[in-house]
Amino acid sequence: MTHVTDTSSAYENLRLELRRGCLALAVLAALRAEQYGYSLRKILADRGMAIDENTLYPLLRRLETQGLLVSEWREKDKRNKRFYRLSHDGKLVLKQLLADWQGINASLSAVL
Amino acid sequence: MDLLDRYLHAVKFWLPKAQRQDIVSELSEDIRSQIEDKESELGRALTEAEIEATLVRIGRPVLVASRYLPQRHLIGPALFPIYVFVLKIVTACYLVPWILVGIGLLLYSPGYRAAHGGGWFRALGTIWGGFWMTALVAAGAVTAVFAALERGASKPEFLENWNPRRLPPVRDPNRIPRGTSILELAVNIVFASWWILFMSTPTVLNRPDIQITLAPGWIYFFWGYLILAAANIATAGANLLQPNWTRTTAGLRLVTNLCGSALFCVLCQSDILLTISLAVDGATNGQKIADAINMWASRALPFAAGVGLLVLAVDLRRLIRVKAA
Repeated sequence: MTHVTDTSSAYENLRLELRRGCLALAVLAALRAEQYGYSLRKILADRGMAIDENTLYPLLRRLETQGLLVSEWREKDKRNKRFYRLSHDGKLVLKQLLADWQGINASLSAVL
Repeated sequence: MDLLDRYLHAVKFWLPKAQRQDIVSELSEDIRSQIEDKESELGRALTEAEIEATLVRIGRPVLVASRYLPQRHLIGPALFPIYVFVLKIVTACYLVPWILVGIGLLLYSPGYRAAHGGGWFRALGTIWGGFWMTALVAAGAVTAVFAALERGASKPEFLENWNPRRLPPVRDPNRIPRGTSILELAVNIVFASWWILFMSTPTVLNRPDIQITLAPGWIYFFWGYLILAAANIATAGANLLQPNWTRTTAGLRLVTNLCGSALFCVLCQSDILLTISLAVDGATNGQKIADAINMWASRALPFAAGVGLLVLAVDLRRLIRVKAA
């Protein structure tokens, strides 16, 4: 029983670790078009990359602090929403990350 | 939406002032959008229980707020193992001797007991309280130094600049250095020779000005220690030829140390010093000195037992390690 619990806990930790690295890339890629937080979450969830609010908003703030995103508050549907999009630096970094991702994917496919 | 407002207010409390409003506005917008989506899906307003369930899923306010805060630590992962190691050294080399000295003084010094509350329990309470204060100060000082190191630089210089050649050699714990065996052999041969020459009879000193006589039971101690010295010589000799602990040599060492410690404890309690005759002071003073020495030997029993137990623990650990290997 303990072994099963350990295995499932180890799987859960590894799965989270695997996802954590991919999430930033997915968020940057999705923000090639302007989105506000909730719409971004819905887009990502529709494409199989569900992300909860406690992960997304801190991540958006980090990426913005790093200069990869720009944001502005605007009114939409009678409510103030914060819209995010890729900055110039963000576009360059996304390009590099995508190249890296493809390299990793190819290497991993060869290993698998 | 009273519940949601209360929730957002609680999250806000834990956030840094400069970002509070911004973060809470964004979180509020997200949660309201979730609620609206759910309401349009169900075709009715959400009940308070459903809103409550949504908030429970999002998480406790302090946890939600913590995700927005930078990761902070007093001592980082690079320094933490060294910090724990230093704390262990402080415990072994400072706190343990501190408490042992305190207990020793409590047992043997009436003056110390009087100065610390009078009775046994009061003095023990004072020592115990003092111990925790000392432990807290020691741990606090070590923590403060490491926290300062952590803050002082992102990576201390000694973690950055290092040379693999300066790493200590790998030590096989089951290997016995030949130097140790030679020293052990020499010490035991010298001891056994001295023991046979000077300690074989109860009259261990017989000069015109002073005579020291031991109790008749001394003969048992004489032979006991002589046999133990012979066993130690045999073990040291075997270790010299085969410089690794084996089950036999480790077991023999355990047995000899066990017997030696037990014998010493019995010796402490046996009023072994029968008479001391001094030419100057006469028999009365000599007897008083003999009695005083016997009394102090008897009082030394707890220390002798403590040291014996420590030695046996080391021997037992060695034996278990050899068996495991």
